[in-house]
Amino acid sequence: MITSTQAKSIGWAAVLAICVGLFVVLSLRVQAVHSEVLLAERKIVSLKQQTLLLETEFETRASQRQLANWNTVEFGFEAPRADQYLEGERQLAALGQPLGPDAPSPIRVARTDLSANGGKGAPRREMVSPVTGEAITLAAASQEQDAGAMFADAFGEFLTEASPIRAANAKTATGVRE
Amino acid sequence: MNAYSPGLGLQFGGPEYFEPARRERRGSGPAMPVGRVQMVQMRFEALLVARQRVLLVIAIFVLVALAAILRIGYLGTVGSAPTHSSMSEQLLPPRGEITDRNGTPLARAFPAYALWFDPEAMGDGGSPLVRSPQEIARELKAIFPDLNEARVAKQLASGKGGYLRRRVLPEDANRVFELGEIALQFPQETDRHYPQGSLAAHVLGYTVEDQGGKIGMEEVLEERLSDPALRDQPVALSIDVRVQGALEEELRRGMLSTNAIGAAGIVLDADTGEIMALASLPEFDPNVVGAAGAPNVFNRATNGLYELGSTFKPLAVAAAIDAGVVRDLGKPWDARPVKVGNRTIRDLHSKGDVLNVPQTLVYSSNTVTARVADELGAAKMQRMLRDLNMDARPVIELPARGKPLWPQDPNNRHTNMVIGYGHSLAVTPLHLANAYAAMVNGGIWRPATLHKLKPSEVPRGKRVFKASTSSRMRQMLRMISLYGTGRSADAEGYRVGGKTGSAEKPGVGGYSERKIISTFAAAFPMDRPRYVIVAMIDEPRGTVASSFQRTAAFNAAPVVGRLVPRIGPMLGVRPDANRDVDISDLRYLVEKK
Repeated sequence: MITSTQAKSIGWAAVLAICVGLFVVLSLRVQAVHSEVLLAERKIVSLKQQTLLLETEFETRASQRQLANWNTVEFGFEAPRADQYLEGERQLAALGQPLGPDAPSPIRVARTDLSANGGKGAPRREMVSPVTGEAITLAAASQEQDAGAMFADAFGEFLTEASPIRAANAKTATGVRE
Repeated sequence: MNAYSPGLGLQFGGPEYFEPARRERRGSGPAMPVGRVQMVQMRFEALLVARQRVLLVIAIFVLVALAAILRIGYLGTVGSAPTHSSMSEQLLPPRGEITDRNGTPLARAFPAYALWFDPEAMGDGGSPLVRSPQEIARELKAIFPDLNEARVAKQLASGKGGYLRRRVLPEDANRVFELGEIALQFPQETDRHYPQGSLAAHVLGYTVEDQGGKIGMEEVLEERLSDPALRDQPVALSIDVRVQGALEEELRRGMLSTNAIGAAGIVLDADTGEIMALASLPEFDPNVVGAAGAPNVFNRATNGLYELGSTFKPLAVAAAIDAGVVRDLGKPWDARPVKVGNRTIRDLHSKGDVLNVPQTLVYSSNTVTARVADELGAAKMQRMLRDLNMDARPVIELPARGKPLWPQDPNNRHTNMVIGYGHSLAVTPLHLANAYAAMVNGGIWRPATLHKLKPSEVPRGKRVFKASTSSRMRQMLRMISLYGTGRSADAEGYRVGGKTGSAEKPGVGGYSERKIISTFAAAFPMDRPRYVIVAMIDEPRGTVASSFQRTAAFNAAPVVGRLVPRIGPMLGVRPDANRDVDISDLRYLVEKK
């Protein structure tokens, strides 16, 4: 038979064992979370390095000299002229001034009458064959929806070819070997 | 082998072990003969040995289990923690970043891959490569078209470790990885990368592995960039990468179209001394510079000393107005050749026997400027030059700063006269830009800087010209680009004002007629000058592009004329055709007849 003193000490031992067990479980859990945090940090570091890499590559491909070269070859943009600027609201409003009493009548451009169609514009007409009078679809029109993608592809290739990183790379390598 | 192993002949619990004992027990009687006692003794000993062995086995098991539990506990609490604990430490770049004034990176530490050949990688002492070196070299050549195939094949065959390439793009690294050769490795290295390539090369300088920064701000900021406490913060320079790009492109165009040997340009904030762009051509690419050094490191803008010619005339006139020598701008001055001793000062193209001061500047008359300088006197002329810091190296952070070359006897009357139109005194283009900033900004000289300044950090500067003089000079500089030699720099709406200068280069035995330095020093917008531009072309030749002329009006001034519309809107200067500096009180002095 177990005496009350024995029961008490067994009880205390059990409580102690449970506490120790919980403590072990807790510390294991803490460690687990800690290592998860470290893994996340490691991932952040690697992602930041990738960002840095991509950002640098972008900066290099879009360097001032490269942009200027593209502008010369492809786009031909020029700095805005003085008359392309507006001083403020006043100058903007002046563009829409009503005609003076002795001003010449402005040149009018031929266009369809919008009011006849309920203000919605002329109905879109199909392109018809001049011979048969049937509606036709041009080869170019069927490709129209892909035009954006095609341009993106072509421009991407152009970017890759024109990459200054490659050129710099090549120069580095030759520099080392010589 | 353990206690259970049949080799020991001790099959614990096996029937053959207990059999003899049982047999004995079955045959035992109440009286034990002596032989039996001996048997019991032996049995007891055998049992003892068996128990000891069992205990030993249990102890080994307990120890192993304990070790395992301890190891689990250790791994659970301490062991699994990686050695790196601080993320910020890992993200700290090995060298700080340099950016322009708007935060665009100009130089940064860049994680790069190298391609390294490690013959020991296989670890079996056999051939380092799976396939033949020639085959691998051919495959590498397909990835890197500029590779020297024979050389790489030789290197691979030699079995010596080394770099095959210093820098490899990640996608190329993946393709090499797919070759499946363990001996081809990609150590990650930190590279100093300049995303803008050769842009602003003379401002930035370059870095050499294990030696640090060389020339430029890389050298100046060496401590700041490598300080662990500060290097995570980028250093902002005063230059604007868009302005720098435009300046370099226009200068290059000007230089190439005139077959010049070099060019330099500066865009300076007239009110703060911040350098918006500083270029020296030909340039170098800091990305490919190694320990061997770079070509073209000479910085023409801060280190090159040139007699900058007629661009000095406005300075001499300003000093004369300041000193009260020129009071009435309408006063006619004798413009005939000046004879001093046995030398004569003449004009390139005579514009008449008398000229007033605005006409002198508009037509760039040497004779009148020489007379004005003569009347001003050597002492006052030199004081003005010293006030403009033209007796010392230019104030800028860069290590490359040229010390002005003064004539042997500046007090000589003739020397003083020629200094007035920019001869016999050689200064850097930066000196000139600083002086023009002081002349147009109200008369305050401020040191130039490559650091981005907060409004509170702008130095007070020192007064060199009176504010009224500065105001007059703004009018007259504007008139030069309206009526005079600077017309090709007059970008519409930007109110550019500036002075051309074409000076013959001094050589062995006097001035060379064929080699000239053509300069255009300007400021815009002239009604409230914000920026000073100096464009200099070194030894231009007469080509179709410059109408077969070599003077600044045909090469340096058009550079400024094309540059200003490009950089003006970026720098916050809006072109406005309805706005200009008021020259109505001087206009009649030049627009005669």
